[in-house]
Amino acid sequence: MSLAIALLAFALVGLLLNIPPLTTASSAPRSAAVQPTAGVSGDVTWNGVDISTLGTISSALSIDFSQSANLLYTWSNVPAPGINDARLQMFYFGFAVATRDVSLSVAQTSGSVPLNWTPLSIGYVLEGVYKLTASVIATNGTTMWSEDFYVRGNAPLGILAVIPIVLLLLVVYEVYALVRSGRYAALGRKPAPPPETPPPASTTPPTPAKEAEAPAEPSTETPPDAAAETPPPTGGVS
Amino acid sequence: MSATSHGASCGVVLGIVIVIFLQQVAYIALSDLVPSLEYLIIGAVIGGVLGAVIGWALGRSYLARHPVGVTATPK
Repeated sequence: MSLAIALLAFALVGLLLNIPPLTTASSAPRSAAVQPTAGVSGDVTWNGVDISTLGTISSALSIDFSQSANLLYTWSNVPAPGINDARLQMFYFGFAVATRDVSLSVAQTSGSVPLNWTPLSIGYVLEGVYKLTASVIATNGTTMWSEDFYVRGNAPLGILAVIPIVLLLLVVYEVYALVRSGRYAALGRKPAPPPETPPPASTTPPTPAKEAEAPAEPSTETPPDAAAETPPPTGGVS
Repeated sequence: MSATSHGASCGVVLGIVIVIFLQQVAYIALSDLVPSLEYLIIGAVIGGVLGAVIGWALGRSYLARHPVGVTATPK
């Protein structure tokens, strides 16, 4: 079992050596804007804050999940037929856990649209830093402009949101199991023989009982020859 | 299951859980899949190794205090 775990750990370390260095934690600003179509310009503000300034984790905007956010999408120089959808997505492990759309009845090549989002439904579940993507989408489904930014969401119940409290319970249980793992050292070893209780003399005939006790005598009383061949205990090398 | 393997399994779970908890307290971001998997694997490996060492030490300590196969001396 231990050999299998060691081999698994060795294989994982070997895989980690092939992973490129982490770039997420870098403090250098990165260009998060994605412009699939050349010449298209866009801008989004979150409660008046330009999201282009929120491109890194360290510059994440602190928000309250119980309060609504007012976003304003602005775009221009979009080729015809124009934009008819403004979208906001929140990602967790690469998957969109929340999506908000505002559709326009008439496509526009330039203009602006407000988007109101109240993430209260996930506010009691999640907390922490999340990446959001604001994008404007053409009528044919093509993303004409998008930009990633980070927010730091605070749950209404704080650390008592669902996932943090479940994680805390798991940590407490696993630490308790780790502390008690020493008891597993006794498993797989030869257990101590139970104390021999002599059977009642009235029910057992004397002869079989004497035969049953005969093999147990050498273990309790070692003969001198056997004691001389026994190796010294650990640390008693002479 | 020995004390070492039990400690390693507990350490792997602890490493993964702690990484997710660090995201919940806004220390790291797990929005993208690739760096998230890197964080989880690193946490699992470090937790597994540390858990195995702790379990091995606790196992030796337990066996020193509770010897197996030794009968109690009669009083």
